[in-house]
Amino acid sequence: MLTDTTKEKSPPAAGIGVDDPAYIAIRDLIYKVSGIHHSEQKLYLLVSSCKRRFQVTNVATPSQYLDQITKAPHRDAELRLLLNEITIGETYMFRHPAQLDALRDVILPEIMAGKTKIGIQRLRFWSAGCSTGEEPYTLAMFLLEAKEKYLVGWSFEILATDLNSRSLETARAGIYGEYALRNVTDAMRRKYFKPTPDGNLEAGSMLKSLIRFDRVNLSDDSKMVFLKGIDVIFCCNVLIYFDLASKRHVVRHFFANLTPGGYLFLGHAESLFHVDETFCLVHFPGTAGYLKPSGPRAGGGK
Amino acid sequence: MNEQQTLQLETDIARLESVASAPAILQQLLQILRQPEDEIRIENVAEAVSRDAAIAVQCLRVANSPLFGTRPVETVNGAMMVLGINKLRSLLFALCMHRTMPADKWVLDPVSFWRHSLGCALVSQRIARLIGHSDPEKVYVAGLLHDIGFLANSILYTAKFRECLHYAVEKRCPLHVAEHLVLGFSHEDSGRLLCQRWGISEDLVEMAGCHHRAETLPAAGVVVCLVHLSDLLCRLRNLGYGYEEILAVSFAQYPAWTRLAARYPALSEIDLVSFTIDLEASIDEIASFVDSVFGVPRRTAWHKS
Repeated sequence: MLTDTTKEKSPPAAGIGVDDPAYIAIRDLIYKVSGIHHSEQKLYLLVSSCKRRFQVTNVATPSQYLDQITKAPHRDAELRLLLNEITIGETYMFRHPAQLDALRDVILPEIMAGKTKIGIQRLRFWSAGCSTGEEPYTLAMFLLEAKEKYLVGWSFEILATDLNSRSLETARAGIYGEYALRNVTDAMRRKYFKPTPDGNLEAGSMLKSLIRFDRVNLSDDSKMVFLKGIDVIFCCNVLIYFDLASKRHVVRHFFANLTPGGYLFLGHAESLFHVDETFCLVHFPGTAGYLKPSGPRAGGGK
Repeated sequence: MNEQQTLQLETDIARLESVASAPAILQQLLQILRQPEDEIRIENVAEAVSRDAAIAVQCLRVANSPLFGTRPVETVNGAMMVLGINKLRSLLFALCMHRTMPADKWVLDPVSFWRHSLGCALVSQRIARLIGHSDPEKVYVAGLLHDIGFLANSILYTAKFRECLHYAVEKRCPLHVAEHLVLGFSHEDSGRLLCQRWGISEDLVEMAGCHHRAETLPAAGVVVCLVHLSDLLCRLRNLGYGYEEILAVSFAQYPAWTRLAARYPALSEIDLVSFTIDLEASIDEIASFVDSVFGVPRRTAWHKS
């Protein structure tokens, strides 16, 4: 989850240098390697990410920095660090309760009914763009609670991926402060977390053992084609950084990654309108998800 | 509903008039307010309203509420101007219908009921405008009136209707499904008969009588389809009947949707995700309006309280 913190930043005053051709070259490179597109209006965000790297790498101009990310010996490492800057965000657990309600009330019962018929009791989830881990840990708590009620006897696996290796390190560590835990009840904190000496909480092994963290670039076909058999994908506030062509490309992969009857959830205000025609949009109370149809489906809930 | 049940319901609806009748001004107002916005003469509305002291006073109270500015309004005419035709339309319908309900007969939470009715009116009208329907004002009225049968069921079958609500809350199912199970008929049946008795136009009678059945009626009209879809959209976005239903709706595969889309290609140009997000932004406005009309203290997270 990349979150929407970038929206809170205001465009800077004129004269920041967004017109510099080197920034356009950097923008094109970022697009090529990650699919993340900075439109004219969003270019200032790329500029501020680059400028944070200027200080660390001791360069003075955009063209010098372009050299850093295009020429050996630092090229790959610096490009990855710049991508970290671009995709940083802050979020919290249980941020989209309506998605979890839809899972509990409709989606899991549907998927479980289909799998039970063929003797499978395993569910696979993917948090695509998991940022600092709040989303997969939320999912892990939700599933462990459900395991005590209606998921008895089922096993599950959560794949959590992000492009940003720094975010993934934070996610693997699983240490969170009050902001990230604001929606986690005291009972859940006691059950699933342990206190750290500095007053934060660290996810316990019950949660960590359910999640497999990995660095995945959603634009990297070679990795995307190998992800199969996923039941539900969460990709919240990630595709907003992609242009239409890249969005379509990633969404086509998601369709292939999912099992028939599986769902894709996007961020609160994200839509695949005019992006994709293969998924079937399903509205639930307070949210909407995209179904990979397993056959003709009549609308329910009249 | 079998023949015997239909006859019984007809008799009961006829009896309803001795329990609660449509205020005299309702029919006159219906005539006036169904006209397109730019053809409604505000002085005609004011004249009709002035004949009913209680409604006139409530209009003044709303016009003087913080929602409509700070300048004191002292005349009915002034109140009409301050409210504007759109708000006035919904306010007057709500007040007229609300007055038909004895206070001790409410089974549904009246605030939830009016928020749903006004929400449905707003959404129906909004979609009607987006697709280029020739009479969005009529569609608005249809949305507002669609659940009027709930009021009849509350008055005539209070205990049984309460049972329906309990069943629906417990099973988290649509209320009309619970009505069919408990009562043997639904608010659509009583709504249709009530609208017929009140002399409301045929297409609105059809809408009140079939808005949950648009799927199964091959000849369901445009207004019925619009209200059917709007009712669902409202129930999906915190403008339901005051309890949490389990719902999963694929609009694009609904016969009501495909039928409308075939006639109005612009329907396919509505991004339903954005549309429902925009609807959320309107919820506060609808809530403030209902609260100011019925004098209910402003609550947040009302649907969970």
